[in-house]
Amino acid sequence: MHSISLKEFKEYFDNQYMSLCLFANKYIGDMEIAKDIVQDVFVKIWEEKITFKNESNIKTYLYTSVKNKSLDFLKSKTYKATNKLTDLDIQKLETEPFFLREVVVQETSKIIHEAIATLPKKCAEILLLSIQDYSNQDIANELQISINTVKAQKKIAYKKLKPILKEYFLFIAFALE
Amino acid sequence: MSVFNKIFKLSKKTAKSLLNNKPPKKLLKTELFSEEDKAYILKELTNKEAIERRESLANQINTEDDWQLVKKEITKPVIKLNRYYAAVAVLVACLAVGYLIKQNYTSVDAPQIIVNNIEVGSDKATLTLEDGSQVELGEGTSFESENANSDGENLIYKKPNPKNSQIAYNYLTIPRGGQFFVELSDGTKVWLNSESQLKYPVSFVEGDTRKVELIYGEAYFDVSPSTENKGSKFKVYNNNQEIKVLGTEFNVKAYKEEFNVYTTLVEGKVEVGIDDKKEVLKPSQQSNLDLQTKKFKVYEIDVYNEISWREGIFSFENKNLKDIMAVLSRWYDTDVIFENKSIEKEEFIGVLGKDQDIVEILKTIQNFGIISDYQINDKTIILK
Repeated sequence: MHSISLKEFKEYFDNQYMSLCLFANKYIGDMEIAKDIVQDVFVKIWEEKITFKNESNIKTYLYTSVKNKSLDFLKSKTYKATNKLTDLDIQKLETEPFFLREVVVQETSKIIHEAIATLPKKCAEILLLSIQDYSNQDIANELQISINTVKAQKKIAYKKLKPILKEYFLFIAFALE
Repeated sequence: MSVFNKIFKLSKKTAKSLLNNKPPKKLLKTELFSEEDKAYILKELTNKEAIERRESLANQINTEDDWQLVKKEITKPVIKLNRYYAAVAVLVACLAVGYLIKQNYTSVDAPQIIVNNIEVGSDKATLTLEDGSQVELGEGTSFESENANSDGENLIYKKPNPKNSQIAYNYLTIPRGGQFFVELSDGTKVWLNSESQLKYPVSFVEGDTRKVELIYGEAYFDVSPSTENKGSKFKVYNNNQEIKVLGTEFNVKAYKEEFNVYTTLVEGKVEVGIDDKKEVLKPSQQSNLDLQTKKFKVYEIDVYNEISWREGIFSFENKNLKDIMAVLSRWYDTDVIFENKSIEKEEFIGVLGKDQDIVEILKTIQNFGIISDYQINDKTIILK
């Protein structure tokens, strides 16, 4: 029996698919194959009725499976026949730190991206530059607006993001109980 | 705390710091990564080129399109056979090959599809109003009245007017090949399956017991609790069976051609009764009322198989081909003839997407060697 509905399953998919494709692409360097691998992992979860206790449980499973499948692909004969990755390169990709740091990059980017998507256009532009370490003056120059507008817009952005970011922390506190 | 939980927490903290234009302290201090890895992570998140590269890769991904691929894969007819039947199927398949080879020499194949007028079902219903007039609801239609409105996919009743003390009834009739969703005036949600009819008050009278009748067919109820309706109870009637609802979700199945009423409880608590007999159901239990003997049987059941129709999936577990075809014939509005009676009892485990073309489903059944051939003529399927 499926303990989740197709609708809930789609929510997981919508939520994680893009991050996982980008993650797989870091191993494989081919987006089309990366997508196939991620899709296979989702199909397997549904078909084998794999169940999860909480959100971090799902993510752990997804990232681990996608990593394993990606490495399997890199070690397959068909891939080796046409590519120049040495065993040493693959050994590097197989290490725990390589895996974990990519997870952090994907997860952090995802939160930043989702948070910025909730902001009005101008605010979003300014915040994106601010993340790239642009000073207020740099942002003003880049977007050809006054430095006071930059400051005012940033304030609006922080205010709007506050409840969103808070929710994340409340949720994670709950998931970790 | 597992390393993953640490990683996810660290990601959230890092995102928060960067969004607030503050140094990501947690990342800089963590012992999970070497200095070199930390520098890499920060660069990936804050370097202009890295962000642009990520953006352009992200543009190559269309989540909705790819979901359709996955959905197709997981809802395509995957009919798995019981172990026993699998062995039989292999045998049948071998015999079938022999038969086909032989046939090639002796006869011209009869056409499988003469005229195919079988369509996949859709949202549609007939609403009968209190004055007896009828309104057709379905894709592309809209309806609005004093009490309710519909966008062609569902019918929503407005909250009752407290001054209203007269009861007027509406009927919602779902034809073969249809399904529909209705929300009653108390907020109770009802999903109706093909070939079903529901009778209900246009608006419930405040404080009185809320009563609806599933005249025939199948419905899934998500009942608005008594506590939100001034304590008034909710009852579902069908064929003299009364279901007393104590705030809950359940499925009732009572098709015209069957002599049984199946009530499946998903959540909460219900009491089913006929005459003076009563049974209280727990979640994941089903009661089967035999309308001829007026006796209940209550047993545990895999709820998903009973309610998946609501989500566009037919899920069968150890159902025989005759029962499966009965379900399909309602959704595809088709008649099924078993030319070979012995295959009626073949049992399957399977999941079918409700948006599949009927021909695809028949082909799958054929590929398993359960039926040797099929024919479609107008709206009739003949299984051989």
